[in-house]
Amino acid sequence: MWQVRDDEPQYAFLKEPKAPAVNYYEAPIDLIARSGGEAPVNREMFINGEAGVGSNPNRNKQHAFHFTADNCIGCHACEAACSEKNDNPAHISFRSVGYVEGGTYPDFRRMNISMACNHCDDPVCLKGCPTRAYTKHAEYGAVLQDPETCFGCGYCTWVCPYNAPQLDPIKGQVSKCNMCVDRLEVGLKPSCVSACLGNALNFGVVEDLPDNREQAKVSIPGFPDPDITHPNIRFQQIKNMPDEVTRPDGMPVKYHRDEKGGYRPVVDQKKGVDKHWNLTRLSSRENPLVVFTLVSQAALGLFFSAFLGAEFGLESLVALRESVIYVPLVAIAVGLAGIGMLMSATHLGKPWRFYRGFNNLRHSPVCREGLGMLLFMVFAGLHLLAVLPENTVFISLAGDFGRYPTLATTLGWLGLAAGSVGLYYMVRCYRIPARPFWDHWQTGASFVGSAMTLGGLILGLLGVPALLLAGSAVDQAITVAVALMLAGCVLEGMGLVRHAQVMDAANNEGSASHYIQCTVFGKSYRLRNGLLGLNIVLSVAVLVLNGLSGYAAPLLTLAPLLLVSVLSVALIGRCLFYVLVIPTTMPGAFFWKNKDFEEHARDIGLAHMPQVGVVYDRH
Amino acid sequence: MLFGRKDRKPIVIADKKVVEWKYAVCGYCSTGCSIEVGLNSAGRPVTSRGKGDAPVNQGKLCIKGIFEHELVETAGRGTKPLMRDRIYQTFQPASWDDALDKTAAEFKRIQAKYGRDSVAVVSTGQLLTEEFYTLGKLVRGVIGTNNYDGNTTLCMASAVSGYKRSFGSDGPPGCYDDFEHTDCLIAFGSNLPEQHPIIYWRLKEALEKRKFPLIVVDPRVTMMAQFADIHLPITPGTDLVLLNALAHVILAEGLQKQDYIDAHCSGFDELKATVAKYNPESASRICGIDADTIRHVARIYAKAPSAMSIWTMGINQSTHGSDGVCGINNLNLITGNIGIPGGTSLSITGQCNAMGTREWSSCSGLPGYRMLEKEAHRQEVAKFWGVDPDFFPTKRGLQQTDIFPAIESGEIKALWIVATNPLTSMPNQPRIKKALEKLEFMVVQDGYADCETAHYAHVFLPGAVWGEKEGVQTNTERRVNLVRKFVEPPGQAKPDFWIFNELAKRFDGGRKMRFPETTSDIFDEMKHLSKGEGRTLDISGMSHDAIERQRGIQWPMREGEQSGDPRLYSDGKFQTPTGKANLLAMDYIENNEVPSDQYPLWLNSGRVVEHFHTRTKTGKIGNLNKFSPTPYMEMNPDAARELGVQHMSYVRLVSRRGDAVVMVQLTQRVPRNMVFIPMHYHDCVNRLSLGLLDPYSRQPAFKQCAVRIEQVDQKEAARLNVERRAY
Repeated sequence: MWQVRDDEPQYAFLKEPKAPAVNYYEAPIDLIARSGGEAPVNREMFINGEAGVGSNPNRNKQHAFHFTADNCIGCHACEAACSEKNDNPAHISFRSVGYVEGGTYPDFRRMNISMACNHCDDPVCLKGCPTRAYTKHAEYGAVLQDPETCFGCGYCTWVCPYNAPQLDPIKGQVSKCNMCVDRLEVGLKPSCVSACLGNALNFGVVEDLPDNREQAKVSIPGFPDPDITHPNIRFQQIKNMPDEVTRPDGMPVKYHRDEKGGYRPVVDQKKGVDKHWNLTRLSSRENPLVVFTLVSQAALGLFFSAFLGAEFGLESLVALRESVIYVPLVAIAVGLAGIGMLMSATHLGKPWRFYRGFNNLRHSPVCREGLGMLLFMVFAGLHLLAVLPENTVFISLAGDFGRYPTLATTLGWLGLAAGSVGLYYMVRCYRIPARPFWDHWQTGASFVGSAMTLGGLILGLLGVPALLLAGSAVDQAITVAVALMLAGCVLEGMGLVRHAQVMDAANNEGSASHYIQCTVFGKSYRLRNGLLGLNIVLSVAVLVLNGLSGYAAPLLTLAPLLLVSVLSVALIGRCLFYVLVIPTTMPGAFFWKNKDFEEHARDIGLAHMPQVGVVYDRH
Repeated sequence: MLFGRKDRKPIVIADKKVVEWKYAVCGYCSTGCSIEVGLNSAGRPVTSRGKGDAPVNQGKLCIKGIFEHELVETAGRGTKPLMRDRIYQTFQPASWDDALDKTAAEFKRIQAKYGRDSVAVVSTGQLLTEEFYTLGKLVRGVIGTNNYDGNTTLCMASAVSGYKRSFGSDGPPGCYDDFEHTDCLIAFGSNLPEQHPIIYWRLKEALEKRKFPLIVVDPRVTMMAQFADIHLPITPGTDLVLLNALAHVILAEGLQKQDYIDAHCSGFDELKATVAKYNPESASRICGIDADTIRHVARIYAKAPSAMSIWTMGINQSTHGSDGVCGINNLNLITGNIGIPGGTSLSITGQCNAMGTREWSSCSGLPGYRMLEKEAHRQEVAKFWGVDPDFFPTKRGLQQTDIFPAIESGEIKALWIVATNPLTSMPNQPRIKKALEKLEFMVVQDGYADCETAHYAHVFLPGAVWGEKEGVQTNTERRVNLVRKFVEPPGQAKPDFWIFNELAKRFDGGRKMRFPETTSDIFDEMKHLSKGEGRTLDISGMSHDAIERQRGIQWPMREGEQSGDPRLYSDGKFQTPTGKANLLAMDYIENNEVPSDQYPLWLNSGRVVEHFHTRTKTGKIGNLNKFSPTPYMEMNPDAARELGVQHMSYVRLVSRRGDAVVMVQLTQRVPRNMVFIPMHYHDCVNRLSLGLLDPYSRQPAFKQCAVRIEQVDQKEAARLNVERRAY
């Protein structure tokens, strides 16, 4: 148990609450009631393995931070007290202070915002975590995370709107605010709160106002939409801020007062309006996911088209299925999916713990995506085994083992089903309210479109020569493959056009992402868009030429062009997808929690000094 | 398990496994917070926390104090004495005997050749008071140079000088508890949230209990200015004009406490005649505060039952810093706000023991606020130490800011630097570098071997730092507090008093005098010397143990008393020959370097909370340094737009002295014609600053000079930024 000192100052003790029965969101504050009576009273927490129930009489009530934004002086005492207590290295901080500011000298106001985990009623981190490292406890309503369970996928850091979970690239795991439950158990406020020097940060049972405070608002300027997670933080802000407030960090976001007096994010053109290439910047720590999504989608597209085409009785695809190339085609699909799984594992902080990725099927789209793709591999692989005895090369090498068409078809359909589930949840993974740039149907259009385009591409590349070798007609195969690519490109194109329109008008972090897309990566973006248009033109040209006779030579020149262009579009597009996303995080400061400074420090070598608080991305 | 999982995951929270807590007053600023340092079973300091029942901080600590135990692990510490004949050679490790023998021999040689005063000593506000006393005894009583000063000239000299001119003696008359009683507070150039966060918290606590007007005078919109009821964004360097105008209004409207003035002040008529010239209208044209606001503030202040003023470097670091302090004292004297609860002139001091050096180091005179200029003081101290009274000069010698020019001119040939880093902290760094190259011999005694000044030393002596030795420090409100030793110094590093004692043994005079071996013995000697009729600086009732028990004691605490006194001059008796405070009539003389066509911007400088001084400590603790790891400046976005300067880009600043490369933070916190740079970084603001000296205090006007902005190649600037960051 945490030791209360003999001279413990009065301000460090939690006060007896006069709280209502339900919180702002109408959820019971009593957590036993909230759990429907399932959670037991007087349950031991076993903090650091120690037995015993804490003396806090309100331990089964939802607790929350209360932040008087008018008072914060930005002195870092809360952050320091937190990092000191939790023994965190410089590059990790469970609590951070950022700020927004506005006005014109000397009519200037800065508002500091100290933010840690808000131990939300609807913890999206918990739901997203594939390893079930998170638990929302009936004690204090604390959302606690176990770093030893975590395998470092970082998905919780994507879904949390407050940047609360901290991914440590060195340890390869996430850790976060633990609400100082050890202190709460003995009736003390968390150490950040006890350390506050501006009398800004406070803590207690949610909706119970601290002494001398009169407001318990659920938002302030710069704070993300509380409807996403129902965070347990309340604010007092009586002093008005200017109509427009800016952030000191590099994020091209500022906030405007809206009709209701709240503040909404709008684009801040910090990067100017010039268009740049920044091709090297397209490479990010999410590169493995670029590969994972692309190859998985290619695998699905290839398998779906090859299998379904034959099932639907398309002549050339039936021929293909009956040809020797079908086995290698399926093998390529399985192999690509395997490479994808491998890449997604290398993306983990602790890849050897990949098996934990299926622990939260109940809530996490990451688990379902992974399981879907794994089952796809399994069923497609079994399908391959089932069709192998039909393969003439196999027969000539190994002999006749009979035919299993029903089994093969069944397994194929199972693979199809699993792959569909995988693809669906692959899309769901990115439909994150805290990442508005991704939270649009274009993500789905892009993923499905890529599957069609890349699937069609591989089908054409391997199928057409195989059919040619076998002396079969190739016209229909070319048509099918290129039509698939055309449809994929058109789908992706439509998604992109709509996405750009929506992001332009959205006035949220997605708009800021789109602004970066059009400026910092403006030329790369244009190139991708141009090439996508080219893909469509080339596909149409191929289809037309294919329909006429005697145009084999132009067809042969257009094909490699289309290949290069399709691959470029896929790669640039997917890289952009990852580097552009701007989460709805809290504003940072000028150095600390400023992504642009972190990037700069890594670029110029300052990050080699541990005391700069920036580390290189390693995984 | 509300939801998530039924099977419990273990809850693991860091446990520092503290087995013992040691008491210490903080070693950073002069707020004087009491800390408990937690030691693990191996005896290593692993955590710090504010002492819950300490009167100053009541359990709170600022960011620096929270991580202070990490100091013992910081990089760059000196672990053995180092020597070399020429500064272009590489240092070689030496034994303490060799290093001290060489130091003593060189001092003697140079003094014999060029005269006693050709050896200069520049000390600090970082040592323990007992060490300051010992150093003073060594320098004044043994080595015998009059060119002996501390780096306090860079921060508090104007406050010292102003207190002496107004009240006859140094010593801040108020205390933090005055916040609980005051009815009005003006902060002049004092940004408590950044500089003294714990004092800010004390003020905030008082304000939450009982609201009173808070008025802030600062050219920047600091958090303090933002929280003020009235913010006066003054033109840099014109505080005296504002102060005279405030006095003008008070006297013109008859708001002064005439009976207090008649009973306890002299010089009223002269003051009245001088401030008569500073009507609010003409003052507003100089100081930039409109006449109505000046009247408004003057009335609020004068009509408040009690009112207090605090100030920091905004006043002190100015060409008329001393006059500014006297102007504040004038304001409080004419409104009867000295020595009463909630009524005071309280300078908010900088270094942890700036007060200790002012009191006991003999830098500006003789120990215990005694003066060289006074025959009786010389006799008293000479007798106590057992030296010839004629060995003492009869007038104070050069101050730190005059020592460097004296090196330039060849008067000073040897320099002993103790725990300060002038290569980073002095204004006009190019000039300091050049001067240091001229020295025949320089000793740097510091906890950190990588402090920039050591690059110019012939001998480096590794000192012990906070927690590696035991002794007292005095804070802003005259509270003497104790640091217990809780860890051994690294390698062969030694406590500074040991170094002083050892050096004393190498002089004939030193061998004849008594240099006690422990700080508590030294403290006893100081207690003895602090006694005397009518003395305010009396610590004779204290002891190390009593200080720890009371979590610090405010002087005066005379023998036999139970505790100290929170305020000075409550009886209206001052330390002047007449016993009356001096009201000072002071005219404003425009002598700053002001913006011009060539250099169109004011350069202002100041502190950030996560750093201390020249970053030799804080630059190495990641959880402090990360909040501002590289030099930057605040610049107004409107001004930036005109020059095409972008947020987070690098620019080159040029002044008449030199240049500096900084990263730009655009913010409306500063006016269009000003930039602000934190002072802590090496090769930064002091490559630009001018530092004109105050005529009384010789403190440099760090905060007022003119610069221009030039574009710089971003890659080259980034390379420079990395190169210049050894820490």
